[in-house]
Amino acid sequence: MSNINPYIPMPVEISRVIDEVDTHDIKTFRFTFLNKEDEANFKYLPGQFAELSIYGKGESPIGIASSPTEPGYVEFTVQRAGTIVPGLVTAALHDMNEGGKIGLRGPLGHSWPIEFLEKKNIVVVGGGFAFTTLRSLINYMLHKDNRKRFDEITVIYGARTPGLLLYKDELAEWEKRDDIKTVITVDKGDETWKGRQGFVPAVCKEVAPSPYNTVAVICGPPVMIKFTLPVFFELGFYKENILTSLEMRMKCGIGKCGRCNVGYKYVCSDGPVFSLAELDELPREF
Amino acid sequence: MKKTAIDQLHELAAHLMEKGTLIAPIKEDAGFNFREISDAKNVDLTFHNTIISPKSAFFPQMEDFVRYQTGKNVPEAMPVELNLQPTFLFGVRPCDVKSFQIMDIHFSGTGAADPYWRKRREATTILGYAFDLDAPVQAEEFYRTLGIGAADPEGSDIFMIRKGEDLLLKSITPRGEKLLAQMSPLTEASADEEKYFEDYIIRGRDFKTRFTCVDDKTVAKKLENIFHNSDFWTKVSSACLSCGVCTFVCPNCYCFDICDETLFGRGTRRRVWDACMFTDFTLEASGHNPRTQVFQRLRQKVNHKYSYHVRKYGVISCVGCGRCTRHCPVNIDIYSIVEAALKV
Repeated sequence: MSNINPYIPMPVEISRVIDEVDTHDIKTFRFTFLNKEDEANFKYLPGQFAELSIYGKGESPIGIASSPTEPGYVEFTVQRAGTIVPGLVTAALHDMNEGGKIGLRGPLGHSWPIEFLEKKNIVVVGGGFAFTTLRSLINYMLHKDNRKRFDEITVIYGARTPGLLLYKDELAEWEKRDDIKTVITVDKGDETWKGRQGFVPAVCKEVAPSPYNTVAVICGPPVMIKFTLPVFFELGFYKENILTSLEMRMKCGIGKCGRCNVGYKYVCSDGPVFSLAELDELPREF
Repeated sequence: MKKTAIDQLHELAAHLMEKGTLIAPIKEDAGFNFREISDAKNVDLTFHNTIISPKSAFFPQMEDFVRYQTGKNVPEAMPVELNLQPTFLFGVRPCDVKSFQIMDIHFSGTGAADPYWRKRREATTILGYAFDLDAPVQAEEFYRTLGIGAADPEGSDIFMIRKGEDLLLKSITPRGEKLLAQMSPLTEASADEEKYFEDYIIRGRDFKTRFTCVDDKTVAKKLENIFHNSDFWTKVSSACLSCGVCTFVCPNCYCFDICDETLFGRGTRRRVWDACMFTDFTLEASGHNPRTQVFQRLRQKVNHKYSYHVRKYGVISCVGCGRCTRHCPVNIDIYSIVEAALKV
């Protein structure tokens, strides 16, 4: 690897685009590598991310949404970003179709700590769009070669509306399986919604996973995190057993450009995955 | 050990230019700066120190990564190859030499290696140059606080000291030894001159730039403890203009941006120096910006150098060269901030 320049992206081609939500601003892009050796070098685990690179626009760090158990491609779920300033890369990507070619740098950052999760019960809590690397983790754990490495798996996933739920087909598949407990909720249903209604923190309280030999993996918007963490503390979870993934503006993705620090940690190279105990050691800057 | 007359410096410079690229201080309108030398007569050692630090020899303000054409496919973009000649970085002050060693830890010593920094470092021989111990102490400087002597040869391949009208050169590393043996314009130094050289290094350790007793772990912890003291940080940053000049002249600031610059369908992806003092440094595409306030950004800069870097790499990321203080338009002085922080 040492001869590979980490700043130069690998060429990939869009082989599939899925329009995920009814607001049409979140799409999942499947990429295949144009060079076989790049594919061989792109060894990743759930929780890692990569820089999507479009010359003339720039680069965006995006979590990997596919699981390494699905060889031959890599998927990213990307929101068209920008409220004040448009996100150049995500806008350009959203305007591309199958066959479009972009660059990819990665895999970057640390994954969910798979060895730490082994032989434990896993509670995955996701909110809205922040479900992408959790999906990677779930699919990884559910793979037939891996399922027995983990004990009970519970997924609590919420979105504001039914139309904003990601990966709807997969959610339906998981609900059918008996080796994973899937709890899907929306803040507000519509006339066709027959499932659960309620905010993620309240649903977590209701599901009340036991803290015994259990790790909670939580990703979501700040407001969800803010109200979900007290629920898990109340249930008796230690901070070492609550994991999350951070986001920050990034450029290099390899801990060199100095941009994404929280205290002495770089989110890109020291994270993006942190336990709550680790985050407690950092200054509460944000 | 070798020597040459200062007025024969151009011969030494010409000799190094024959061997490769020479980067040395030259006098410009605004002051001295390190530049690639095209005329050996321009090398000028009458400087105290340069405006911009010599880090640009390894970490240029702009480094081109890739050339591309819009509308063409990614595979057709061409990485820019670094074709480096042997390079000689001539006349670097001891505190600046130390800054390279600190930057090495970040760019090539830990995590992913930065290929550009590494290749430029490998291609370059450093000829360090002691400060003039008989000149008055410069008010802004405080390298003594960081444990750096005015004539410390560590980190240089060859170290140089001025003695009257002569320049004494001694090899410090095998690389320097090899080069020094090949440098034909030089003559052998005498035993007296050798003694002068050794004594000078020791005298340099006592050169009285500003001094506060700074233990790196103590200051790192102290800054952690006062992180949320926004009164302190607001007070020390009240004059700050967020101009970023402190970071641009700093030998240890390494933050960079990666930009695509396209003109008439052709473009270059390059990295450029960036500054944590700029408002948009942490601005995300969503519009969220965790550091909107001036005090947050100055706090970031001071903490990065004196706290985070100590926690992460075990060393303070400042060499006390005084450039940031010297060039700050509103007289913000990092030494005074650290000194005040220790007293909070």
